[in-house]
Amino acid sequence: MTITLVMCFIFVSACIAWFAEGIKENSGRYVALLSMIAISIYLVFALLLSESSVDYSQLQILTRLPWIAHFNIEYALALDYLSIILVFLTLLLAVICILVSWHEIKTKVGFYYFNLLASITGIIGVFTAIDMFLFFFFWEVMLLPMTALIAIWGHENRHFAAIKFFIFTQVSSLLMLVAIIVMSVLHFQQTGRVSFFYQDWLALDVPFKTAYYLMLGFFIAFAVKLPSVPVHSWLPDAHTQAPTAGSVLLAGVLLKTGAYGLIRFVLQLFPDASSNFAPYAAVLGVVSILYGAKMAFAQQDFKRLVAYSSISHMGFVMLALFSFNTIAYQGAILTLVAHGLSSAALFSLAGMIYKRIHSRHLPDMGGFWQHAPRMGGFALAFAAAAFGLPGLANFVAEFLSLVGTYQVYPIHTMLAALGLIGSAIYGMVLFQNSFQGSFPSTKIASFKDLSIREFFVCSLLLSLLIVIGFYPDLILNLFNHSHIAWLTDDVAGAGL
Amino acid sequence: MTLTMLYSLLPILIIAFGCVLSLLLIAWRRSQHLILFFTLAILTSALIASLLMQFDVSQAVQVTLLLKVDGYGHFAFILVLLASIAVSLLSSRWLQNSIEVHDEYFVLLQLVVLGAGIIVMSDHFGALFLGFELLSIALVGLVGYCKVSQYSVESSFKYLILSATASSFMLLGIAFIYSQTGVLSFNVINEQISYGVFYQAGLLLFLVGIAFKLSLAPFHFWTPDVYQGSPTPVTLLLASVSKVAMFVVLMKCWFSQLALFAVVPKGAGIFFIMGLLAVLSMLVGNVLALKQQNVKRLLAYSSIAHMGYLLIVLMIIAPQSISLAWQSALFYLSAYVLATVSIFMALQLTQNNDELMGEINEWQGLFWRSRMLALLIIVAILSLAGIPLTMGFIGKFYLLNLAVEAQQWWLIAALIIGSGIGLFYYLRIIFVLFLTEKNVNVEQIKWLNNMSFFHRTTIFVLTFMGVFLGVFPDSLALVLTLL
Repeated sequence: MTITLVMCFIFVSACIAWFAEGIKENSGRYVALLSMIAISIYLVFALLLSESSVDYSQLQILTRLPWIAHFNIEYALALDYLSIILVFLTLLLAVICILVSWHEIKTKVGFYYFNLLASITGIIGVFTAIDMFLFFFFWEVMLLPMTALIAIWGHENRHFAAIKFFIFTQVSSLLMLVAIIVMSVLHFQQTGRVSFFYQDWLALDVPFKTAYYLMLGFFIAFAVKLPSVPVHSWLPDAHTQAPTAGSVLLAGVLLKTGAYGLIRFVLQLFPDASSNFAPYAAVLGVVSILYGAKMAFAQQDFKRLVAYSSISHMGFVMLALFSFNTIAYQGAILTLVAHGLSSAALFSLAGMIYKRIHSRHLPDMGGFWQHAPRMGGFALAFAAAAFGLPGLANFVAEFLSLVGTYQVYPIHTMLAALGLIGSAIYGMVLFQNSFQGSFPSTKIASFKDLSIREFFVCSLLLSLLIVIGFYPDLILNLFNHSHIAWLTDDVAGAGL
Repeated sequence: MTLTMLYSLLPILIIAFGCVLSLLLIAWRRSQHLILFFTLAILTSALIASLLMQFDVSQAVQVTLLLKVDGYGHFAFILVLLASIAVSLLSSRWLQNSIEVHDEYFVLLQLVVLGAGIIVMSDHFGALFLGFELLSIALVGLVGYCKVSQYSVESSFKYLILSATASSFMLLGIAFIYSQTGVLSFNVINEQISYGVFYQAGLLLFLVGIAFKLSLAPFHFWTPDVYQGSPTPVTLLLASVSKVAMFVVLMKCWFSQLALFAVVPKGAGIFFIMGLLAVLSMLVGNVLALKQQNVKRLLAYSSIAHMGYLLIVLMIIAPQSISLAWQSALFYLSAYVLATVSIFMALQLTQNNDELMGEINEWQGLFWRSRMLALLIIVAILSLAGIPLTMGFIGKFYLLNLAVEAQQWWLIAALIIGSGIGLFYYLRIIFVLFLTEKNVNVEQIKWLNNMSFFHRTTIFVLTFMGVFLGVFPDSLALVLTLL
């Protein structure tokens, strides 16, 4: 019931935030912030209490109630370490989101926080739902408020970006819906009972050819979310046009739902089909890494640059996941967390700069260091995290991914490693263009260093990046070789 | 004619009786309010009679050769009644604007409902044609009812001529079918005989007539003009009552002849044509809706697409899927009717004076002015687009389930592409609602702030139903399994 309670509570506080804003101005954000903190604390304690009795290295079913009896659809939630990590990442970034939009959102504030929290509710549902229909349901629930965030509070070209974002995800998720339905029909044919329950499906024996098509249906939906080349083109637009919190949420968590889907559904439901498809997926991953890095280098827009860098980083995840290797898998999960933190940090930074100079354009920036040394320091650290400086989480993550992948795809890995050089280049381009060089004279008066709130946001993210960078076992211990039973790797294990 | 037969026909009889009584009422006293309340009373009592009746397909009552009263027909008739109650409520507001007394309007409305009732209960081509004509002729009167409107003559003429053409096609088709089978009843006596080319041609001509009424592509050309030219409540009538009735009778006819298609070696041909109509309608409807600025025109095109989606239920081959097909179709139709009623309700409420033409831009910033009304529109639009949390999604889920079972991959592909295109224009409407207003219509705001309690309740109920049945569809799905 824990997760159900958490979701209900978030949604209720979303409604309260909306109404509170109508009664007293500026109260919505306090409601949102306090409730998110309270919920996070509650969840930590609830999990700590239950951990002694329950082993989260396997999926633990929390709730299982009939929902739509006509199709035998259930309301089923489950948790394992993967979902726990991602849920906490979501909650953390939710707090960050509320903090970065503290002064940024000035119109329709109540409705804004409602949408933000509603989207968080959906995302938590996605990470925990284990009935496929329910999963699809949450998959859409997180989408609607996100689209509203982009379309109402976004920048100049927001409608176009919102429609593009919505259509890409919606059409691909319809493919997934068809695959889900086919699976349930297969289940009916084999057992005489319709079922959308994930663990029922694991026991199904799907003919290889059918499995291949079904796998593709799921894969496309998740590849769009991840995003992978060639279905990535919604991402730069959505990121650029979204308000700061929208970008943080998109990059930090929404992209991770794609990776989560690949791990939980594509790889585990269709192991044979996906290992057969793996070479293509690995190529897609490498292309994403190189293409993302190249495109990031060519951008003139701060947020667009970070957006393309996300494509590059998510390429590592794709490559690592499809190498079916424990080390690479650990690397992929660490990448999810590390990229969640570092991209959130960079987008928050973009928001802070935008607030000061009202531009995202790199040529308009420069020389901020003199006026805002603290901000500059953080910016340097976050850029370093993005290009994988040792000591920060991203380094460990990408290193592990590459080490694991090398045992399976040596050539792919060598090419992918070039992406690291690319990331160093665009990282420096980003930093130098904004914080070094000459200061555009017109902006002098208005440029202030970080406020306390902003300082808190940055230092929170940076300290997490450093902690995980120095002590990755914090997360890796949860994903031991013995825990990942579905991963039948023949090559790996050697490194452990 | 036994008592059971009469009893099972009770709802239709109430309506028929109501038509006559209304004429007497007009002769006695002409009053706008009186006739409105009388119509509402008739429709409501027919609704109550339908609801009280035990409907069960296995205990379908054959009322002479012409009609067969079964659960599906009953459910469809309930939908029709609910939609027409909404229509009469909307009409009352629209008709108050002019000075004349509009008794005829309500008589025509009752005739439309009567026609729809006969159609959904029919089990015979004769009864079908009778209902079809009753519906069409009454609708022609209604479409051109608003004499002052510049479009009224154009649209009623268009509707009259095309509908007459369609019914003559249909009549010819029925004659061809009769020449081969020798019966006018839907149920074919001998399933073993393979009927010749004339039977197929007859079926095709019959389909043309139905396709016109359902405005399937390529028989859709009248739809946008007539939708735009008719008064808003009448458009709602066209979009809901007429569509539901025609689709239900098409299914009845189709499923009773399903066995024949399996026997005829060329039976695949008729499936192919049906599939083609479906794909064409989905694509044409959605593509043409993209650039529309007028809400009614947009809904006209989107209704073409929706009827295309619905045709999927006819594509089943296995006879054991028939009950699932009925459930899917009725669920989808309920979702469609609910969404259409909601949007037209909103359209009528915002169109408070004659200057407003029902352009999408008139809804600009509505969310910040009247949140309830905007939420109603959003839920309805999302339902039409088939997004989860709304009833329309469950409808689409039903259809996809059916299509997967029938292995109609091409139709599924067309449905996905169509829905993708559809999102463009559906989202555009929603975004308009959230825009910050520039040219505010003062009167509209004043009116929206002073909405009566009755209107508020209706809006709330419609919104609630759309979401409730989308999240807990069981309440309706279980009723449908009982049919």
